[in-house]
Amino acid sequence: MFAEVLFIAFAALSILGAIGLILFRHPMKGAMSLIVTMISLAGLYALLSAELIFVLQLIVYAGAIMSLIIFIIMFLNIQDNDLPIEEGRYLYLAGGIAVIIPIACFMIKVVKSIPAHQATIVGNGFGGVKEVGLVLFQDWLLPFEIVSLLLLVALIGAVVLAGKRRLLK
Amino acid sequence: MIQDYLILSVILFCLGILGVISRRNVFTVFMSIELMLNAANLAFITFSRVHESMDGHVMAMMIMAVAAAEAALALAVVILLHKHKGKLDTNVFSLLKG
Repeated sequence: MFAEVLFIAFAALSILGAIGLILFRHPMKGAMSLIVTMISLAGLYALLSAELIFVLQLIVYAGAIMSLIIFIIMFLNIQDNDLPIEEGRYLYLAGGIAVIIPIACFMIKVVKSIPAHQATIVGNGFGGVKEVGLVLFQDWLLPFEIVSLLLLVALIGAVVLAGKRRLLK
Repeated sequence: MIQDYLILSVILFCLGILGVISRRNVFTVFMSIELMLNAANLAFITFSRVHESMDGHVMAMMIMAVAAAEAALALAVVILLHKHKGKLDTNVFSLLKG
């Protein structure tokens, strides 16, 4: 019972945050409402007893990535008149909703056809660091190494892109 | 219980798509993409809970790493474009238009 109440609260918060993201005009307000979504998603992960992902969501997503985005938004010092004039925004939004709703209904129908799962109690170590680490370093070793390469490429790429002007001078 | 999580994931993904189509601000489009990645993460974690295996958690960690790499690169590109054009409008950034 308590879990259902928490689920409804977190789900409502995350949907409200997402709606705020697509409706606020200034990206700073959008970023703030996206942080609300991220934190309530972290709560949902905790409800799904994924401890490691809960912590990672808070630290990496709501902490690192969002603070990077907010840092860049503040760094560019965006005023209200720097923002693009989006006069056709609600028109595009209405058209998008008209296109998306059938797809969403289809996807929800597919989801409903999944056999209902009884809320069983998972084992003691489900979602902990040890269990995830065992799977990560046994079955997923090659993808893990590829991800490390990807992060290296992104690091070099960001340095090359953002430091280009200084090199040219 | 499981279906509610998956429906929430579908709704968040559709909201992300709506943000990408309807907005012209680079930052909002970028953050909508992050929202879609988060919705995918939620579906992975939910299925991992259903099957009681850890593979979904590992996949969610991979998605987080990809999102971090994407954030670093995309923000570098945005800074560069803002230096060149002085605008944040996606319609201005049409360098690749044929």
